[in-house]
Amino acid sequence: MSYQEKRTIANILTGAVILIAYCIYAFGKYQTGGVESGDIEFWASTMLIFIGIGIVVAIIVQIVFHVLLSVSIAVQKKIQDANFDENEIEKSINAEMVEDEMGKLIGLKSERVGYVTIGTGFVLALFAIVFNYSTVIFLNIIFISFSLGSILEGFMNLYYFRRGVHNA
Amino acid sequence: MPKKFIISNNIRTLRFFANEMTQQSLAELTGVSRQTIMAVEAGKYSPSLELAFRIADVFGVTINEVFSYEVVDQTGKKK
Repeated sequence: MSYQEKRTIANILTGAVILIAYCIYAFGKYQTGGVESGDIEFWASTMLIFIGIGIVVAIIVQIVFHVLLSVSIAVQKKIQDANFDENEIEKSINAEMVEDEMGKLIGLKSERVGYVTIGTGFVLALFAIVFNYSTVIFLNIIFISFSLGSILEGFMNLYYFRRGVHNA
Repeated sequence: MPKKFIISNNIRTLRFFANEMTQQSLAELTGVSRQTIMAVEAGKYSPSLELAFRIADVFGVTINEVFSYEVVDQTGKKK
């Protein structure tokens, strides 16, 4: 499995964990009666908190992932050849983590899927308002569509890395 | 009906004649990841013109000697 695939899996897992944590916390609190159904302030502040948590966790996961990957490459190289010096190990790590044109093209194609998901979620949220659902439903549809869009984008990344991608 | 092009390459053969150059070495020499070289070699990714020239340059051959294309009709037959 390549560096890009491993990084994408780390991103998907982070996004999924944040979304699940939000659902458990927010809907759990709602079901136990801790929040009134029309309390927009609670939902907005919860979403803001989880956006913040999501950003921080994503940064931490990326740092830990890169550290672990660098260590595993260094250990692999040392096992292969004990005489490997640090410069060569650093060169191997940089070669493994290179971001190239294929990665960028796959990123662009996957982002399109993410945007479509977010757009669909926004339209659904507007329909929810039109059909007299509460603003809380509107907010939740938008928040969940952003999270799902990000996760789907990751899966599309994996799909294109496995299947290949053409410019046309 | 637009014609369909199939781009094939001789990278595996060229690597073999370049003293069994590894995909990793070719990746380092061309400044891309090994994943990209693997995908190009397997026909899963059509490289940019710049990368195609860089690959040809590594082997010291023209771009035509690395990549070739064939036109196929809608039924998939080569023309």
